[in-house]
Amino acid sequence: MEQVPAKNEMASHSPAWNIITSYNGPKVRIMEVCGTHTHEIFRLGIRHILPPAIELISGPGCPVCVTPVSFIDEALLLALEHHVTLCTFGDLVRVPGTKMNLADARSSGANIRIVYTPLDAYLYAKNNPEQQTVFLSVGFETTVPAACLAVKKAYADGLTNFSLLTANKTMKNAYRALKRSANAFLYPGHVNAITGTALCESLTQEGISGVITGFTANELLTALAVILTKTKEGRPFFYNCYPRVVTQDGSKTAQSLIAEIMEPCASEWRGLGIIPQSGLKLQPIYKGFDARLRFHLPALTGRSDPACRCGDVLQGKCKPTDCKIFGNRCRPEHPIGACMVSNEGACSAYYQYGGNL
Amino acid sequence: MCVGLAARVLNIKNGIALVDASGAKREISAELLDELDPGDYVMVHAGIAIAKITNDDKAETDAIMEAL
Amino acid sequence: METTITLAHGAGGKQTSDLIAHVFKKHFSNPEFTADDAAVLTIQEQKLAFTTDGFIVSPWKFPGGNIGKLSICGTVNDLACMGAKPLYLSCAFVIEEGFPLDQLEEIATAMEKTALEAGIKIVAGDTKVAGKGQVDHLFITTTGVGQIMSEAHTSGANARPGDAVIVTGDIGRHGCTILLARNTYGIDAAVTSDCAPLWGAVESMFTTDNNIHVIRDATRGGVGTVLYEIAEQSNVGIRLNRPAIPVDPAVKGVCGMLGLDPMYLACEGRLVVFAPKKTASKLLEALHRNKYAQNAAIIGEVTDKMPGKVIVTTEIGTETMLPPPGGELLPRIC
Repeated sequence: MEQVPAKNEMASHSPAWNIITSYNGPKVRIMEVCGTHTHEIFRLGIRHILPPAIELISGPGCPVCVTPVSFIDEALLLALEHHVTLCTFGDLVRVPGTKMNLADARSSGANIRIVYTPLDAYLYAKNNPEQQTVFLSVGFETTVPAACLAVKKAYADGLTNFSLLTANKTMKNAYRALKRSANAFLYPGHVNAITGTALCESLTQEGISGVITGFTANELLTALAVILTKTKEGRPFFYNCYPRVVTQDGSKTAQSLIAEIMEPCASEWRGLGIIPQSGLKLQPIYKGFDARLRFHLPALTGRSDPACRCGDVLQGKCKPTDCKIFGNRCRPEHPIGACMVSNEGACSAYYQYGGNL
Repeated sequence: MCVGLAARVLNIKNGIALVDASGAKREISAELLDELDPGDYVMVHAGIAIAKITNDDKAETDAIMEAL
Repeated sequence: METTITLAHGAGGKQTSDLIAHVFKKHFSNPEFTADDAAVLTIQEQKLAFTTDGFIVSPWKFPGGNIGKLSICGTVNDLACMGAKPLYLSCAFVIEEGFPLDQLEEIATAMEKTALEAGIKIVAGDTKVAGKGQVDHLFITTTGVGQIMSEAHTSGANARPGDAVIVTGDIGRHGCTILLARNTYGIDAAVTSDCAPLWGAVESMFTTDNNIHVIRDATRGGVGTVLYEIAEQSNVGIRLNRPAIPVDPAVKGVCGMLGLDPMYLACEGRLVVFAPKKTASKLLEALHRNKYAQNAAIIGEVTDKMPGKVIVTTEIGTETMLPPPGGELLPRIC
């Protein structure tokens, strides 16, 4: 049996650990942008060792959390009225639409397949030519290349039964929109694997600080220690703490693939509103693969529950526990706000890990 | 936002790599990477290799802390 | 005789009796299994454990077992958890029209073998045939009776602060095996189901030291779900030591790809045992001698803090909560 060597040796009482636990400077607000960071920070119990002056805010980096209600409503329309096969990441299955979620639609007979990769959605379409297949294309720069690859292959094969319902997003303008929410960002390492370091580096000129961060205990602790040390110096800073995965240029191949297949557009972020140039849609030459055009979807305005404060949570304006419906009407088994749906969502993580831990 | 898994390349053919993460094997797209060889480590996300990597996080974080 | 199941096999006529004779009687035969309407059992004045369970698994055959083996193990293990020696079992089949007879026989053979190993006698059965598409190949329901050992007083409500928590082997293999066997995600790994009859393991524990507070089999929902149930039933806190929880590396790899936690993957041959610490180390030795419990390990302890919660000491020595169980397992990717 092949073994990936376990290299995550005891991170406790390392120099990084000591810097974090002995921190007694002014209050620092650090936003982890990536949902997988949120998840790993809870799973590793890192919040448990933070002194009160260090506040971690779970930002908008879970695609499920920032995808608006109207997107789920569009997907439901495709599944229930147009009887397409919906291929989706598992993450989206329980996200509430206006009236129901995809799991409810599946129970009433909709054909909903959970896939590991958009390439499997493309293969399903190829192998089932009589069946219209739509991939629910959510995700940031890390996930977009896989969706683009699927479109490119479908185009090359001349498939007429494969399309994307796009809600892809890019991070650059989200950092700008959120710059007042935190002193520093833990930048999402796997997004930077694609985009490289240049963008985040240039944000220091706009007063935005942060470090590119990996996902192991060593990497998370080191990134926090670097932020605490650099914050003391009082100038905006940038640091790549994940060079084993993230290079200065990122993946040029992925960048040109994205540029070939998709183009920037304004995009609605649940809780943050419309951020210009923060979304991606298919280039005109690939519009045949746009599910909205193929099925003539009407413009939908989904309604989220008015009591839900996911928007404030995503911006660090309040903690999940400050929301009135947290833990009572809104629970992981019956989520109302999107931040409760995904395991990566801030509310779900707070609920599952007991809030105070 | 992006679950990534470090995996080792077992073999590679026509842009498809068979990778292994402690015994779990899957074919993934290696079309984003040039010059990938068996034995290399890659970061896998949603069925594609997004970066060629080294698999030793400890050596890297030690060096970062040393430089700090 | 036909090679597939037809509706006539369920109609009660000659074909039904042929099916019983050629498949079920052949494999389940024993003096107590008669053609009468009910089995007649002789049981002395003893405390009995009595349980029933329905089995639906897709695919019906998987590395390490099939639905037949599963249907015996499930009921045997439910009895074993009560400290009950498995005695008698009934089984009811609902078979889809068109199901191949040789495959039915494969299932019956697995049941025969597993029942023999567990020391339980199959004494009654029923067969119904459902129309094509009405069931997924076949469903089996088994009901079992066992004799509770006089020294056994296990219950999910009996966990006490100071108890050690034992798991009798590496976790999540059955759930992982089924996930892979469905081939939904294109992942391949050398993982076989942990499906096994565990009466032998339980008996060896009671022979060693009968001061055992809780025994539960971690089936649907996995070890994590069972621990939450016990924490709640006993109104105690449970503290786990994550590095001590045995997980097969390949199971970890599969979980890593799909963003799943092995704590919530089903097992079909793993017990969670609570006993005072002194007893626990003796039980562990006994378990290590059993072929289905060689990876048994002490994974945590019971405390009086945070009743109803399961706290984890992580690999870096911090504390966090084990996320409470949350319904359907969905892969997390983006």
